[in-house]
Amino acid sequence: MEALGGTERVFSGIVAVVIGVFALIALKNDWKTTGLDNNVTKLLLGLMAFGCVLVLVASFGLLPVGGGT
Amino acid sequence: MSVSIAKQGHTTGGSLVHDEVIYQETRDMRLLGFVLFLISDVVLFSAFIFAYLYLRNTVTPVWPPMLDGKQLPRLDVAFACVNSCVLFGSGVTMHYAMESWKHAKKTAFNGWILSTIVLGALFLCGQGYEYTHAKIGGWSGSIFGASFFTLTGMHGFHVFVGVIYLLVLWWQANKGVYDQTHYFGLTAGTLYWHFVDVIWVALFFLFYLF
Repeated sequence: MEALGGTERVFSGIVAVVIGVFALIALKNDWKTTGLDNNVTKLLLGLMAFGCVLVLVASFGLLPVGGGT
Repeated sequence: MSVSIAKQGHTTGGSLVHDEVIYQETRDMRLLGFVLFLISDVVLFSAFIFAYLYLRNTVTPVWPPMLDGKQLPRLDVAFACVNSCVLFGSGVTMHYAMESWKHAKKTAFNGWILSTIVLGALFLCGQGYEYTHAKIGGWSGSIFGASFFTLTGMHGFHVFVGVIYLLVLWWQANKGVYDQTHYFGLTAGTLYWHFVDVIWVALFFLFYLF
C-alpha cells in the first residue's frame, strides 16, 4: 500500500504540473478578453491552477499538516 | 439604448436583426442569472464549510476525532491527489472544448467534451471507491464522517448533474441547436464545470490537507 501510495503521489504530481501549465496557458490566452462570462472563466481558471499547485505540494508531502502524513 | 436598437431593428423590417438584438439582450440577462446561481451555490457550500470548521474547532480537542476510544485515521491523500487531477484535467478539456467550438472545430469539440464527460464519470467512480474505503466512522459515526460525506456528497451530486448536463450539451451541439455565434448553453456548461472544479479545490484542501 505504501508503494502504491508513492506511485500515486509521483503520478499526480506530474499530472498536476501538466494540467496547471495548460490552465495557465488558457488563462494567458483569455487574459485580454472582456465580458462577464470571460471574466468569471478567468477567475475559475486561476483558482483551478491554484488547485494544481495544492495537489503538487500534497503529492510531494511538502505541507506540514495532513499532506505530509 | 438597447431597447431603441431593438425597436429600430423591428421598424426597419429586419426580423433577423431584431431577433439578434433580442438574443444578445436576453443572453446577457441569462448569463447574469446563471452567474447569480453559481454565487448562490457558493453560499450553500460556504455554509456547510463553516459548519465543518466550527465543529472541528469547538466540539473535539483532537483532529481527526476519537471514535470508540481510537483516533480516526486521516483520509488517503495520495488517492485524493489522483482523483483531483482527474477532475482538474476535465476542467482543462472542457475549456478546450469551448475554444474548439468558438473556432468552428467540431471534431475537436466532440473529442474534448467527451473527454470531459469520461473524466467526470471517472472522478465519480473515484469518489465511490473512497466512500467504500474511508474508515472515518460512516455518515452518522463521527463529526468527521458527517462533514466529509455531506460536503463531498453535495459536490459529487453537482458533478453528476454536470456530467448529465454535458451529455445534453453534446447532444444538442450535434443536433444543430448551437452555431458559431449562438452558444449560450455551452458557455453556461463551461462555467458550471469550472465552478465544480473550484469547489473541489476548497474541499480537497479542507479534508485532505488542512
